[in-house]
Amino acid sequence: MAGLTAFNYLPGNTFLHVLDVRVKLAALVMLSLTCIRADLTESLMMTLCLLFLFRAIHLSFRSISRELRYFIVLLLIVFLARAFFTPGRPLIGIWSLTMTHQGVSDGILIAWRLFLIIMLSLLFVSSTRPSDIKVAVERLLAIFPFISRKKVAVKVAVMMSLILRFIPEIVNQAKETLDAQKARGIENRKNPVYRLIKFAVPLIRRTFENADRLALAMEARCYSENRTDPELVSTQKDLLVFAGVTCFCLIIIIA
Amino acid sequence: MMADTNQLRMMIYASLLAALTAVGAYIAIPIGPVPIVLQNFFILLTGLLLGSRWGLAAVAVYLLAGACGLPVFAGGSGGIVRFAGPTGGYLLGYLPAVCVVGLIAEKGRNRMVFDIIAMICGSAIIYACGVPWLKMILSLSWGKAFVVGMVPFLIGDALKIAAAVPIAKVLRPIVKKI
Repeated sequence: MAGLTAFNYLPGNTFLHVLDVRVKLAALVMLSLTCIRADLTESLMMTLCLLFLFRAIHLSFRSISRELRYFIVLLLIVFLARAFFTPGRPLIGIWSLTMTHQGVSDGILIAWRLFLIIMLSLLFVSSTRPSDIKVAVERLLAIFPFISRKKVAVKVAVMMSLILRFIPEIVNQAKETLDAQKARGIENRKNPVYRLIKFAVPLIRRTFENADRLALAMEARCYSENRTDPELVSTQKDLLVFAGVTCFCLIIIIA
Repeated sequence: MMADTNQLRMMIYASLLAALTAVGAYIAIPIGPVPIVLQNFFILLTGLLLGSRWGLAAVAVYLLAGACGLPVFAGGSGGIVRFAGPTGGYLLGYLPAVCVVGLIAEKGRNRMVFDIIAMICGSAIIYACGVPWLKMILSLSWGKAFVVGMVPFLIGDALKIAAAVPIAKVLRPIVKKI
């Protein structure tokens, strides 16, 4: 997957890989929501748990930090915005701006929470097969009474897996188009509208042609919306994990 | 049978545009001092090409995929928290925006003036949702929120709208050929 290697499925057979996808997806959503309310000690606790889990699925810290470097810049911006724009006791003054005590502690907490949530989704994506994600989304959507499983949930799940399939293809196509333009000396053209058009039209036209081919291939293979999905089994262990995560979230939210 | 084929095609196109939006969050075209990020460009284009109904479906699935933790938002990140983060308002604003763009473009029968009006309305809706959210989350003043969250992007938006009109004109026959 060109340029987006961290967020990929990492084959394996660890505790997280065998866990029922539905449990994982539900836990991801619950924990993400809980993170927003966690204070400093609770965030620290979660970070330690996450570090342990990362070791468990053999994800190297080097690849994570390389893939997330842009995100870290974003976190830094969030932190600085908080640190400078929160009123309170002044800490350091730079030009006309002052960093406040309250701002710094606030900023650290918020940046930390965002970081935790990214780590959670990274764990989920790297320990779950894309086809399993599709089935889990379908099942969880079907829980809601106003979403019929046949009509909506299946479509949404299929579209989601199609998105994941299209992304690497588009990235490669975009790279190819940019290179082709460079080879033809696009840099000499200063008009940005011209460049955007000359970039987007071939890119989108080609990806649409590929999509047409995909539609034909799906029809030729008798695609239908009621196909047999892989069986999902949850054992006692899955229930245990689910109960544990739920308790943890409730404790943090109430406390 | 024909209806089925049409449905499948539109579904694939909607996923494709959602995927393009996701990629648009990664690739930036180096033009001038501020690189243009193509995410909202593809949102507008989705409305123009697919119309309000399928456009809404495409954006909804895109946001849902992000909420489930798939890496489709800017900076290679996903997760439900992005909606609670500082840029969450823009993301939620995509939904009404694509709907309105689709509606106006359909009513205007794909005439150029209507396309432009549609996209200007769409961009305005995105900012109308995004800026107050940014102000609330980062506790900025109104003036600062506009300076940080809207003014630097206006020129880029004008360029994107100018580019989207001819692009939509070229691509519509491909989508509508069924």
